[in-house]
Amino acid sequence: MNNRVPKSVPAEIRASLFSGHDWIALAIVSLTFVIPFTSTNPQVLSQTNLILIAATAALGVYIMQRLDLMSFAVPSFMAIGGYTVALLSMKLQLTDVFVLAAAAFLMPALCAIPLGALILRLKGVYFVLVTFVLTEIVQLLLFEAGPITGGSNGLVGMPAVKIFGMELWDNPHVLLTTCGLAFFSFIITSVFTRWFRSEFAAIETNDVLAESLGLAAWKYKAMAFSVAAGVSGLAGFALVNMLLTAHPSSFAPMSSVNYITYTIVGGKASILGTLIGALLLVSATDYFALSGEMSPGLFGLLIIVVTMVARGGVVGVVSGLLYRLAGQSPSLKNGDHDLGGNGEKGQ
Amino acid sequence: MESFIATGLIGISLGTQYTLLALGFTLIFGILGVVNFAHGGFYVMGGYVAYYCNVILGLPYPFAVLMAMLSMAALGWLFEAFILERVIEDHQATLMVTMGFYLVMATAILMIFGAESPQFPFPVTGVWRLGGIYFPYANMIVLGACLAAIVFVYWLVYRTNIGRGMRAMSEDLPVASALGMRTKALFPFAFALATGLAGGTGALVTPILALAPHVGDSVLAFSFLTVILGGLGSVTGATCAAFIVGLIEAYAAVYLGGSKGALTLFALVLIILVVRPQGLLGREVRRS
Amino acid sequence: MTLGLGRLVCGSLIASAGLVGAVSACELKIGVPAVLSGPAAQWGIALRGATEFVAKETMEEKRLVINGVACTVSVKSIDSKYSAEGAASATSALAAEGIKVIIGPVGSPEVTGFKPVATRNRMVAMVNSFAKNSIGPEWPTVFHIGPGPSGWAAPIIDVGLQRYKFKTAAIVAPNDQGGTDIASVNADIFKQRGVTVTEEYYQRGTTNFAPIVTRIMASNAEALDLASSPAGDAGIIVKQIRQAGFTGPIFRLGGPGTDEIARVAGGLDILKDFLWYEPVYMDDNMRALEQKYEKLMGSVRPENSDFFRWTFAARMMIKAIQAAGTIDNAEKIAAAMRTLPVEDEHIGKGYWIGQKFFGINQEMSYPFAIGVIQGGVKQPLIRAEAVSEK
Repeated sequence: MNNRVPKSVPAEIRASLFSGHDWIALAIVSLTFVIPFTSTNPQVLSQTNLILIAATAALGVYIMQRLDLMSFAVPSFMAIGGYTVALLSMKLQLTDVFVLAAAAFLMPALCAIPLGALILRLKGVYFVLVTFVLTEIVQLLLFEAGPITGGSNGLVGMPAVKIFGMELWDNPHVLLTTCGLAFFSFIITSVFTRWFRSEFAAIETNDVLAESLGLAAWKYKAMAFSVAAGVSGLAGFALVNMLLTAHPSSFAPMSSVNYITYTIVGGKASILGTLIGALLLVSATDYFALSGEMSPGLFGLLIIVVTMVARGGVVGVVSGLLYRLAGQSPSLKNGDHDLGGNGEKGQ
Repeated sequence: MESFIATGLIGISLGTQYTLLALGFTLIFGILGVVNFAHGGFYVMGGYVAYYCNVILGLPYPFAVLMAMLSMAALGWLFEAFILERVIEDHQATLMVTMGFYLVMATAILMIFGAESPQFPFPVTGVWRLGGIYFPYANMIVLGACLAAIVFVYWLVYRTNIGRGMRAMSEDLPVASALGMRTKALFPFAFALATGLAGGTGALVTPILALAPHVGDSVLAFSFLTVILGGLGSVTGATCAAFIVGLIEAYAAVYLGGSKGALTLFALVLIILVVRPQGLLGREVRRS
Repeated sequence: MTLGLGRLVCGSLIASAGLVGAVSACELKIGVPAVLSGPAAQWGIALRGATEFVAKETMEEKRLVINGVACTVSVKSIDSKYSAEGAASATSALAAEGIKVIIGPVGSPEVTGFKPVATRNRMVAMVNSFAKNSIGPEWPTVFHIGPGPSGWAAPIIDVGLQRYKFKTAAIVAPNDQGGTDIASVNADIFKQRGVTVTEEYYQRGTTNFAPIVTRIMASNAEALDLASSPAGDAGIIVKQIRQAGFTGPIFRLGGPGTDEIARVAGGLDILKDFLWYEPVYMDDNMRALEQKYEKLMGSVRPENSDFFRWTFAARMMIKAIQAAGTIDNAEKIAAAMRTLPVEDEHIGKGYWIGQKFFGINQEMSYPFAIGVIQGGVKQPLIRAEAVSEK
């Protein structure tokens, strides 16, 4: 009798590659490409830029969330990506956007492999703390490695990136670069998490049990950690490009809390949640900034209210409402880990 | 040599401060499973309550400390019972809610008291000296308070029924509830105990250092670090880890400088966790 | 009836035409990206207060008249959160409203994030920040409200050397740009005066400085410089180093904050021998300015004494706008500003400096003051002449 578990889940069970939520998210991100061509309002451009950067960084959190691991390491991989790009463009005069994007993805992803080997055996809050410590260490290393990284001043005055030889310097063009990076990140995340949907779901539910059934959990965790690092690196590239500076204060450890917040408040079940969370909270931050001293307090209130009212995040609440309106039972939210068929089947 | 001993004394002072903070944090963490992002907020608010009682109202300092503890315990009790209790099953939701609460607290303090540090002196000044070694009397008092707190928490957790109940709930909540322990009563109590401790610590430590709305920011990081290093759910572990962290921080900073010292500390913590993932005295955790 | 209606319609059309003509009046909007939250909030509050004061003063006294029309001046301030992205975000929001004139930001990371956005959106600005690259030839429309330690540290160190004897010094600063830039500038100046220097950087967020203090004591430094360490941190350092038995003089070659340092440390007798930079020498002229603020705004001026420098900066900007005759052409305003003398009705005359240190002569230098506490007793402020680079 053949006791071996098949290496991959059969095609029938895989069902569709992208869920409804994924399509919506990708559609929204691709729509943002329109903005640089139709608007010259600096605030619209800047806000869209910040939202897309935030959403891309939050994807780094989202990917690890699929394995029930909460990662505080996003700023450290953003820093690796951002500084790599700054060094390549300033010291080696490499300004082609495709080359830089590849470097911004690959460098953090490669760094994530040995780091992952060290820390991925930790779980739960231990993993949280280790990733937090990692981000603190990266900050301190940026400071200590002064000659290379510019120390606390950072690397100032990056040249503009080029696409097919054309410089992308203006406000709209900077946003265009970010749109491209964000879209690319969302595609990667979507494909990656959906392809390994079943394996991730198994690990998320009970990794010990999954391992006992023959699943090599470490492999998937390592891949996820690398891809999350790469995506964070792309976010770092976008941020450094927007500011024309690679500055340590952009990658502060406490900013990891922001990215986690975007994912959770938006809804951690799908990439749409990450996007909506970033959209909502970055806009809120900007709006509250007009209230000066009260802005952190207002933001805190918003988070408390949203968390208590919206279980499953904003996306979870909205899709639950839509299901109810459509007369179906909101049992399994679309985009969640369903091991078979479509979302209507119950748990 | 003097410098070595002086550094050791500083490490012990740091250790006492971290222990006081870690005790509260590990109680909430071990029993409720909640990472209290607002821990620093209760710390700094306790400091301000004590400041208000002592400097503005003119009440004696020990009374001010007591007021800080009671008021923070009350605030914690209310927060747990009315807000936290609703989201308590979802660990990530509790993280969000406590973080939001921290932002609200820090902003409230900023709006009420302003951004600048007020004058909040410790009632006992003066320093004990022996050659180049020194130990301020204030630090000695705080050390005494810390030891008292450790004894109290130990007694409470290991020698009383309430403590037994809390430990039971942290081991196995469904069974404990089935056996009749009321989480609705014990959870707020545990939370209030922890926040009261945090408030009291704020009242004791901020006069030695400084009182300002933002001093709670780094409390979370160090409490978290200490508790994890010590091992989840272990009061002994948290205490040991606190002193170890304090000593490492002191020696690294004195002999390597502030920046490199912090780097050394974090690198060491990373190594310890990699080598011993359950912390120094923690039990092996087999959950994903 | 119809005729009456017709007259009414014509009349209102004519009136509205006149109104349209009047609406193209002069409305200057000044953007203020200010840090209003966190430890640096007091600096942002001082910035905002000063700009709002100058705006009101300009309108009341009709100081800005372009094409025969007295301009209205309004201030829009946004929290820039003491970070590069925060400042970039705030500046973009201001740019979206067509604002071209900026007073602020305050901190080094903020100015770093601010400059690219300001350049892209063609804005003219008066910034603070003690960073080594806060202004420069790459940003021709960015001006500096006053010199950092590169300008005034030397006279203060000289006063210290006159009153105390020391051959070695330790400089303590946080390990971020706000700390390192200033500490290194101070170190150079100490070395020029023949003092051996060690620089100690601490991790931002440190609340207990006893280890750093022990390290400084072990290095046998005879003097201490707090550089630009935030006032709360500086106060703890002073408190703990005096507890450790340090008896030498302590310098604060950084921004204002001595009152707060004294509160945290526990009093002037703990500070003992302390020297610091005061942005202005408090004489009757300054008090008159304070009173003017109270009369105009109805409350006491913001506590942080950088308020004064921001007032002079905002007034200078108004003068430049007046000289240029335009409220939104940044290059013209900048060009006009460079030709104006550095002069203010309350503080007197100063100079344009910056060519040597930044490569561009766009830093305003006014007379300032040196504060001294000797033996625990506050001494009268020493008036210091405006630094010039001649």
